[in-house]
Order: sequence, then structure tokens, then C-alpha cells
Amino acid sequence: MELREMNHASTYIIQSQEEEIKRIALELHEGISQNLYSVSTGLEFIQSGIEHPDLQAYTKELSEIVNRTIKEVRLLSVELYPSTLMTLGLSSALKSYIKLFTSTFGVKINVESSGEEQKISESKGLAVFRSCQEALINIAKYADTSEANLSFKWEENLLEIVIDDIGIGFNVQEAIDNNLFKGIAAMKQRMTTAGGNCYLSSSIGKGTKVTIVLPTEIGGM
Amino acid sequence: MLSRKVCLVMEFEQSSKAEELTDLLLLECDQLKENMPCDFSGIALQKYGEMDVVWPYVSGNRNEKYKYITVRYGKGIAGKVISSGSSMTIASFPNDIIGKSTEYPIMLAEKIISAYACPLIWKGVPKGALLIGFRDPHTFNQDNYQKVKQTAEKVESLLASYYFGN
Ligand SMILES: Nc1ncnc2c1ncn2[C@@H]1O[C@H](COP(=O)(O)OP(=O)(O)O)[C@@H](O)[C@H]1O
Ligand SMILES: [Mg+2]
Repeated sequence: MELREMNHASTYIIQSQEEEIKRIALELHEGISQNLYSVSTGLEFIQSGIEHPDLQAYTKELSEIVNRTIKEVRLLSVELYPSTLMTLGLSSALKSYIKLFTSTFGVKINVESSGEEQKISESKGLAVFRSCQEALINIAKYADTSEANLSFKWEENLLEIVIDDIGIGFNVQEAIDNNLFKGIAAMKQRMTTAGGNCYLSSSIGKGTKVTIVLPTEIGGM
Repeated sequence: MLSRKVCLVMEFEQSSKAEELTDLLLLECDQLKENMPCDFSGIALQKYGEMDVVWPYVSGNRNEKYKYITVRYGKGIAGKVISSGSSMTIASFPNDIIGKSTEYPIMLAEKIISAYACPLIWKGVPKGALLIGFRDPHTFNQDNYQKVKQTAEKVESLLASYYFGN
């Protein structure tokens, strides 16, 4: 296959995968959650009508399990697809992901922002969101540091996000040679598909820096 | 109504009791780590009235990440031990795990390779986990399990004050 065809193919794979993930997330959120919610309300109603104490305790227990499941399903759905991306915008979606990230891995992220947020399309926003997620998770997995920085720079026609850590760093060429670069390669692929780019630099003992750029002019939406 | 002075005295007693409990549980972690000996030991507990699990007491930590980590019920080594009510061993993280390495935040944060965790039972229900960890591959033996079990029993006897003091 020609290189151009290969790129088309991987663009297609990324897009159809994203669509499938979104479909599952919405199904969980709207279909399954709603049904569970009905079950929960019904159980509470039944519980109030039961006199037998053992049965009442049992119904209460079932009700708690259903409520816990509703919570789990909601978290899973958000984990799969950030539904706030389109409603609240990229900055908010990323900031709420960062909160979850810190309470999951214990790594604090200092967020800085300059300029005014621009509107970007869902597919572009998702590409940026997923790339940031990948960079942040890499920090939790490999950087061996308790803190990192993420900065948004909104310019008139350009969004630039820099994620850097003062962690252990790594030898980029060695990682490429050993075929250990798949997550970062996918991140770059996603960003070029979205019309932007992604750069990574790292040095051992000094840390790692990921820069994500995306043109935001209306024509590019 | 209680006088302001009495309230202050009660508050003071409560906070010094909480401190005492913290000291006791940290001491258990320290001793377990020294006696094993292992690199890390920690107590994970469900928050009072909640499903989420935190790591309030640890020993041998290499950073402060554990303070911010909240584990979902059923996730990670602590979550799995609590939801299943049975102990769990990881021989060589991240090679022999169920799910992704990111589902085991304490192992990532503390660079633990081998770990063993057993449930902490309160009122017949698993409420927490006691974990020992090694930063090099380690094969667990009967003596290791026995020591963890003994400490777990002591920690369990202190859980009443943990849940009522809070
Ligand atoms: N922030 C970072 N700090 C230190 N090492 C990193 C960082 N990000 C990536 N790496 C190194 O680069 C390699 C490739 O990362 P990546 O392509 O995301 O793959 P994966 O996350 O699946 O291992 C990792 O195995 C790791 O050694
Ligand atoms: Mg990665």
C-alpha cells in the first residue's frame, strides 16, 4: 500500500473506533442507566409496602446494589467518552478529567491557561482530549514524579497544549528502536489526522515534554 | 445544652483520640514492614458510609501520592480484595495482572513489583485491605502470609474506633 492509503486506512480505523466507543458510552448512559433507574425506583416502592422485616432488609440490599451499579455505569460511560466535550468545551472536559486523574494516580497537575477558548469540532476536540489523556497516563505510568504541568495557549487561530514533567525521562530513539512507542505514535497519528500535530522530547533525568498543536480557524473545523 | 468549655474539651479529646489511633495504625504498618522485612506496607479502608477506598496509613512510601489516591470499589488490588473478601497476590507487576496496569495505582505510585494483600473485616464485612509490597520480585512463603494475618487481626480490632472516631 502507498503511504497515503495507509494514512487513510488508519484515519478510518481511528474514526470508526471512536464512533463505536461513543455508541457504547451513550448506550450505557441513556439505555442501561435509565432502565436501572426505573428498577431502583420500583424497588424503593416495593420496600415501602413490605411488612416482613427480612424481606424488607433484602429489598433494601438489592436497592443499594442497583444504586451502586448506576454509579458504576455512569463512571464507566464517562471513562469511555467525555460527553462534556461538546456541552462545556475542551478546557472543562480536560479539567474534569485531570481531577479524576489526580484522584486515581495521586499525581498533581498544575493547569495554566492563557487566551480565549475557541470553538472546535467534536472530532478535533476528541483528538486533543485523547492525546492529553495518553500523555498524562504516561506520566503516571513511567515518569516517577508526583507533579506535572499542563498549559493551554489559545491564540486566534491556534491551540497549543504543553504537558511537561520533571520526571525520570527516557531515551526517545531507544524507545522507537525497541518498538515501544505505540501510544505516542498513535497520539501523533490522531493529531495529524485532525489537522494538527504532536511533538515529544525527553531527556533522561530531566523529564518529558509533549506539545500538541491544533489550528482552530473556522475553515479548518 | 453543653457549655462551650465542655464542647472544647470533648473536641480536644476526640482529636487526640484520632491522633492516637493514627499512631497505633502507623506503628502496625512500620512493624509489619520491619518484621517481614518488605519495602512497603499499607492499610486501605473504605470511607465511612461510602464505597470508595483510600490509603490512610502506609509505611515505606517513596512519595506522597498515596494521600490523593481514591480507589473505586472492585478496582485495583485493594478494591478487588475488599469486593471479593479474599486475599490476592501479584507476583511480578505489571506482568501477571488482570486488566490494565493503570487499574493498580498504588503499585504504580510506589513502584511495587510483588505484593500480597488480605482483607480487613469489620462486623463480618470486608472493609479494607492490608498490603505488603516488594520493589524487587519476591516469592511469598507461609511465614509472610502468617505475619500479615497476625497484623490484620490487630488492625481489625482497631477498626471500630476508626469508623466511630470519624
Ligand atoms: N512521561 C514519560 N516519562 C518517562 N518515560 C516515558 C514517558 N512517556 C513515555 N515514556 C516511555 O516511552 C515509552 C513509550 O510510551 P507509549 O508509546 O505511550 O507506550 P505505552 O504507554 O503503551 O508503554 C514507554 O514505555 C516509556 O518507557
Ligand atoms: Mg502510553
